[in-house]
Amino acid sequence: MERTITVVPEDGLHARPASKFVQTAGGFNATVTVSRADGDGSEARADSMLAVTGLGVRGGDDVRLVAEGPDAEDALDALEGVLTTPADELEDDE
Amino acid sequence: MSEDRLDGIGVTPMNGVGSVWWFDAGIDLPSDTGDRDPGEERERYEAARSTVDAALAQERKTVAERIGEEEAAVFDAHRQFLTDPEIEDEIEARIAEGTAAEHAVNEAYAAGIERLEDMEGMMAERADDLRDVRDRLLRALVGEQDDGESIPDDAVVTAERLTPSETAGLDPERIAGIATVTGGATAHAAIIARSMGLPAVVGIGEELSAVEAGTRVLVDGDSGAVVVDPDRGAVERAKARETVPPIIDRVETADGTGIEVAANVGSAAEAEAAAAQGADGVGLFRTEFLFQDRPAPPDEDEQRAAYESAMASFDPADRVIVRTLDVGGDKPIPYLDLDPEENGFMGARGIRLSLQEHADLFETQLSALLRAAASDEGASLAVMVPMVTTAEEVEATLDTVEAVAADLSDRGVAHDRPEIGVMVETPAAADIADVLADRVDFLSIGTNDLAGYVMAARRDAERVTALHDPLHPGVVRAIDRTVRLGHAGDAWVGMCGEMAGDPRLTPLLLGLGLDELSASAVSIPRLKRRVREVDTREARDLAGRAIDAGTLAEVEKLLDDPSDPTD
Repeated sequence: MERTITVVPEDGLHARPASKFVQTAGGFNATVTVSRADGDGSEARADSMLAVTGLGVRGGDDVRLVAEGPDAEDALDALEGVLTTPADELEDDE
Repeated sequence: MSEDRLDGIGVTPMNGVGSVWWFDAGIDLPSDTGDRDPGEERERYEAARSTVDAALAQERKTVAERIGEEEAAVFDAHRQFLTDPEIEDEIEARIAEGTAAEHAVNEAYAAGIERLEDMEGMMAERADDLRDVRDRLLRALVGEQDDGESIPDDAVVTAERLTPSETAGLDPERIAGIATVTGGATAHAAIIARSMGLPAVVGIGEELSAVEAGTRVLVDGDSGAVVVDPDRGAVERAKARETVPPIIDRVETADGTGIEVAANVGSAAEAEAAAAQGADGVGLFRTEFLFQDRPAPPDEDEQRAAYESAMASFDPADRVIVRTLDVGGDKPIPYLDLDPEENGFMGARGIRLSLQEHADLFETQLSALLRAAASDEGASLAVMVPMVTTAEEVEATLDTVEAVAADLSDRGVAHDRPEIGVMVETPAAADIADVLADRVDFLSIGTNDLAGYVMAARRDAERVTALHDPLHPGVVRAIDRTVRLGHAGDAWVGMCGEMAGDPRLTPLLLGLGLDELSASAVSIPRLKRRVREVDTREARDLAGRAIDAGTLAEVEKLLDDPSDPTD
């Protein structure tokens, strides 16, 4: 299952949006990878802060999410939610 | 030469010259034979990881409370790096091969750091986060505490930030000063640096990070700058400003009014250092430091020894004022289980905790104090209670003192009733200062918190930091009211906030009628000199005009040129 999403937070997958993204990805029974839609196709584990930050995704970039597992669809919905929410509207869970 | 001068916030009116030594630099890894038992190394790694995770969680909580949720989010990122599955896979692969845990961590993180550094802009900055996490892990693994032993003599200790306990661990006799990238003048680490007499400049910004280890720098705590490769003239000018020999005797104003100049201290050792700077006693002994960084509170004997030791540094004519435990959300103490909100700036802190859930700690402390008061060596003892807002709190405190005294009498233990006072930190206490003064012997104005509560601005909340200035007319008038009402209630009135230590403000404070000023030990030689220059009548005139002033700018202008009334 896959989905291509345009990243809304201005700074991209950085700081809070990245934290939130990684935290969300780790919360589902699904293996999710993320890659730049326009890139060389190298995929990063969505539950790795290092890998996600290492993609260098900026606001306005398109990313491709690929999910496998029982919760794949829910995981994609939740991650799409994170990627399309401006940084200052992200809620804190803690 | 502006490019050689890095501006920051000076927190100590002292200067020091030395070589830059990066606090976080260099963790010695033991050599690795590569034939370790993977099971043991895995356990070591996991133990280190939980230690670091707990520390990060605690710091996150502290930063969220003291600075803000946004700033605290960096610790979430750090915790995510700490448990990052890619990094953990790399570490596990190395441990499985027989690599020692610290080397496995070092190598796995090095690869990640390199990967982020290859990127541009903000992403590359995350490499610093990764370094931070790696260093914490390595310290936990090698058991290195950075206790200051490894710091060379005459070093200028530089760091991204220093925690209060890291600052307190530095040896002021050996190091030349400290300079940090982040931080503010009223942060707890800065207050500690000041009381230790360490030249310090904080909040310099990222420019400091570019200064390499070993570079000779001047830490100019007076004007708030670090000068890189200072020329001889710059060093001499700085030294000339610094050398102010202490005045041991008590001082009077130019027209003969005696003023006590006492010290704010956090330990008996600091009290001794303050006596050497000419302090006429202690105006504020913060007892929190006795209670921090330990798993259980100090018992009565340990406390009594600390108070008596502070008293022993002074003469019988002097006084050591001990403030009872003043904890709240911003001063976490593990065994008290304080909540940043419930026990925060507007919550149950200070006397509010002492009269309720921590009544047992309060009684133990009062018992230690009453026994110390009976000691005939050195200064007399006085007790001060923090965060008072009602007369009932004072009455409950006095009742507790009576009960503790009765208990000591029953047990036949020697004790004495000390002078008792109230710390005035809230608008309510300032407004009923006469009512409070009727019940106690003295009042002491804590200007840091008073400014915070009068201006409704936390001192560490960046966006409102300009409001946290004791020269705002609202605060000046609260001080004036406290002194007048306190005198009307037959109490003497002192001041123990940071404001008391600024020699520029001495004429204003004496004009407002304060009987005592208590400041960091390092400020005392200058403060005593300044008191001698003040003419009480001129000072009263200045204070009168400051009370009438409508704006902060008008008060500032009066201080800069007292002879020229606002136009």
